[in-house]
Amino acid sequence: MITIDEFRLIRDYVEKHCGIHLSDDKTYLVETRLTTMMFEQGCNTFGDLYNRAVLDKTHTLRDKIIEAITTNETFWFRDIHPFSILTELVLKQYADEIAAGKRNKIRFWCCACSTGQEPYSIAMTFLEFIRHYPRLKPENIEILATDISSTVLFLGKLGRYDNLAITRGLGEEYRDRYFVQNNKIWTISDEVKKMVRFQKLNLQESFNHLGKQDIIFCRNILIYFSLEFKQDILKRIAALLRPGGYLFLGASESIIMYTQEYEMQRHAMGLYYQVK
Amino acid sequence: MRILSVDDSAATRHFIKKAIDVLGFEFLEAGDGKQGLQILQRENGKVDLILLDRHMPEMDGMEMLEALKANEKYKDIPVTMVTVELERDEIHKAIDRGAKNYLIKPFSQENLIGKIMESLDISL
Ligand SMILES: C[S@@+](CC[C@H](N)C(=O)[O-])C[C@H]1O[C@@H](n2cnc3c(N)ncnc32)[C@H](O)[C@@H]1O
Repeated sequence: MITIDEFRLIRDYVEKHCGIHLSDDKTYLVETRLTTMMFEQGCNTFGDLYNRAVLDKTHTLRDKIIEAITTNETFWFRDIHPFSILTELVLKQYADEIAAGKRNKIRFWCCACSTGQEPYSIAMTFLEFIRHYPRLKPENIEILATDISSTVLFLGKLGRYDNLAITRGLGEEYRDRYFVQNNKIWTISDEVKKMVRFQKLNLQESFNHLGKQDIIFCRNILIYFSLEFKQDILKRIAALLRPGGYLFLGASESIIMYTQEYEMQRHAMGLYYQVK
Repeated sequence: MRILSVDDSAATRHFIKKAIDVLGFEFLEAGDGKQGLQILQRENGKVDLILLDRHMPEMDGMEMLEALKANEKYKDIPVTMVTVELERDEIHKAIDRGAKNYLIKPFSQENLIGKIMESLDISL
């Protein structure tokens, strides 16, 4: 059994290193997800596990604890609206700018990409879009997909999905157009795969080095963070976006009370934010 | 990569196979420790990871673990122990005898893939 003091130690440790805020009702979750690890490490208590993680200079144990706590739930074209907004509004605008010679590239950053469904959905949206805008080429877009977890990045890079994962949010038409089936596994086609670059990144750390972005997907991740951390990330994201750049959040997330950097916009049934 | 699942439950082996398929790795299977050792011999020890059930008839997981670690050819193959009970002494014992880590049933595909990556030291 985890004691309340041990829970608090681990809660603060997790929050410090990845921003995830664990409320007191997550005590049981922490206990179930970390018990095996505690015993594997030869520890008898969660306090021992904590001490061991703190002393581990390689951060291996810290990363393992973070992996065990995070939730990686994701699916294709999640909430659909962001993707229709891309097609109907955002990509149109940038396509015109490219055609007018005002820009050459559209830069996307998907900052909590999990197993790849989100960045690949963006890539497929773009490929569909350019069927009607043949002047644009896949080379006109850059999609950077990052996450804190090595496991999900590995899977995203592989781009292989089983029968269950492939159906979640994905229609048969896209499935047949953009995936290759082999037995029960669907592999994302090379055409889509090569549009996405995966990289490990903890949002807790500085991301200035990524350079200016046009569109940022930061979806179903802020909900896990504390108020202060949310504000901090949103400020840093605003600084990374080009003027007028777009931010998309998860359907249940709203930022309007946390920051003045963005203008909330509506399109059809969906919401997006534009940096002022 | 080649993964050997040694488990007397065909359902567990099937579940493991599905995850191995997602990873695109090669899957080998055995119903108990004896068969497991036979497969290793047949494959000349060319296996990258063994997922080893703790409780099996014939030769159980702990016995097979000991046999593996006592064998020059097999002793460096990482072993993930699979079991239903989350017992401290059991886990400590297996780790002391050279198991890399532990996986508690029931586990999700995500748990399993995480363990496999940890055992194979795959990181990004
Ligand atoms: C619930 S998933 C959301 C995936 C996708 N954006 C979507 O909406 O479907 C949250 C992801 O955030 C990642 N994550 C958690 N904390 C993070 C941090 N501090 N930095 C980067 N990624 C983090 C997790 O590993 C997980 O893959």
